[in-house]
Amino acid sequence: MHNTLTRVQNVFGFFTSVAFAVAAGIAMSVLLSPQAPSASLELKNVQVVKGRPHYYSTKREEYAHVKFDLDADLTSLFNWNTKQLYLSITASYPSSDPSTIPPSEAVIWDAIIPSDYAPLHPNTYIHPASKAKKSAKPKKKESGKPYPAGGSPGIVRLENQKPKYQITDVSGKIAKRGNATLSLHWNVQPWVGALVWTNKNSIGRWQGLQGGEAKFDFPPLKGTEVKKDDLKTETGGERNRGSPA
Amino acid sequence: MFGSLATLQPRQLAAQVLNFALVLSTAFMLWKGLSVFTDSSSPIVVVLSGSMEPAFQRGDLLFLWNRGQETQVGEVVVYNVRGKDIPIVHRVIRRFGGGSAPLQLLTKGDNNAADDTELYARGQSYLDRSQDVIGSVVGYVPFVGYVTILLSEYPWLKTAMLVFMALTVVLQRE
Repeated sequence: MHNTLTRVQNVFGFFTSVAFAVAAGIAMSVLLSPQAPSASLELKNVQVVKGRPHYYSTKREEYAHVKFDLDADLTSLFNWNTKQLYLSITASYPSSDPSTIPPSEAVIWDAIIPSDYAPLHPNTYIHPASKAKKSAKPKKKESGKPYPAGGSPGIVRLENQKPKYQITDVSGKIAKRGNATLSLHWNVQPWVGALVWTNKNSIGRWQGLQGGEAKFDFPPLKGTEVKKDDLKTETGGERNRGSPA
Repeated sequence: MFGSLATLQPRQLAAQVLNFALVLSTAFMLWKGLSVFTDSSSPIVVVLSGSMEPAFQRGDLLFLWNRGQETQVGEVVVYNVRGKDIPIVHRVIRRFGGGSAPLQLLTKGDNNAADDTELYARGQSYLDRSQDVIGSVVGYVPFVGYVTILLSEYPWLKTAMLVFMALTVVLQRE
């Protein structure tokens, strides 16, 4: 009855029950942490140029290069159960049949902002130093943190930010599409539990996102003097830079 | 040790076997029940690659939900490449269609610089939400699934575990 095997079994069984209960408790406790995210997003510039999806492709498509300003305060999204925040700016535009088909949407920029307690990983967003500081001390190295100097995770202040991706429509035509919207989205990755996405409406202690949208129209196609490859995009922290396979 | 086996009556042995079968079938029923509840052929998956780091590491357990047909950009989906049986967990970065038209998705791993166009089947540029996607990730538990990765990478572990489990069940009566 009290041999070693039984004891080991009992301890292991108790351990798994407790671990499960603690994990469930942590996952549910995030509802108690208040959130008040706010952001101000503005379009800076948008160009539509001709290009190919990649070097060996024969398709000629129109690509939109969207630059934006972002001033976001998402620090309240970081609670004890936040491992990282996946932030993205998307451009959405109406489909060919707005009454039955929802708008199309594409990510133009994204960033992974880890919590301060997360282990260091190379695929992390590095917040650019502000322009004012750059001119004062040109030799000073970037702090290398995912937030501006003196801030905390969740503060993002970008001016004239280049996109990471140049987007096109599935048809290949994106010029002169009107009624487009630039919007901010996030995805909170927990240490354990449910993933949450952007909430515009308030639920309990979680207030919805204030701001974070900008309306614009895609301009007509630029002349052939500017090509897709000429427009530089932002490089992210992704480690696999070659083929995804 | 094997002498005690000989003293087992056939009825008791049958009862043991039935017990074992009951445990197995309950587990199977729970799995299939969860599959029906989430409308996904594989409601719990283990992350196999590091292409979604630092969000998901190898060995993490993901809970899927397949009843939301209007998958939004930023959601993490698990899909099968047409013709292959490898589930891939990546994030949706573009969507076209939905509503009355088939929803087309483009995905990309967080740790990949390039999107998944090269991973899709030949001639396929976008995923079809209704056909290719197994489900969308709604919950996550770290590390727990690493056992399955070990089992698939070291096949002798599987045999060893099965032998061990069979032995404990048969000898449990002592």
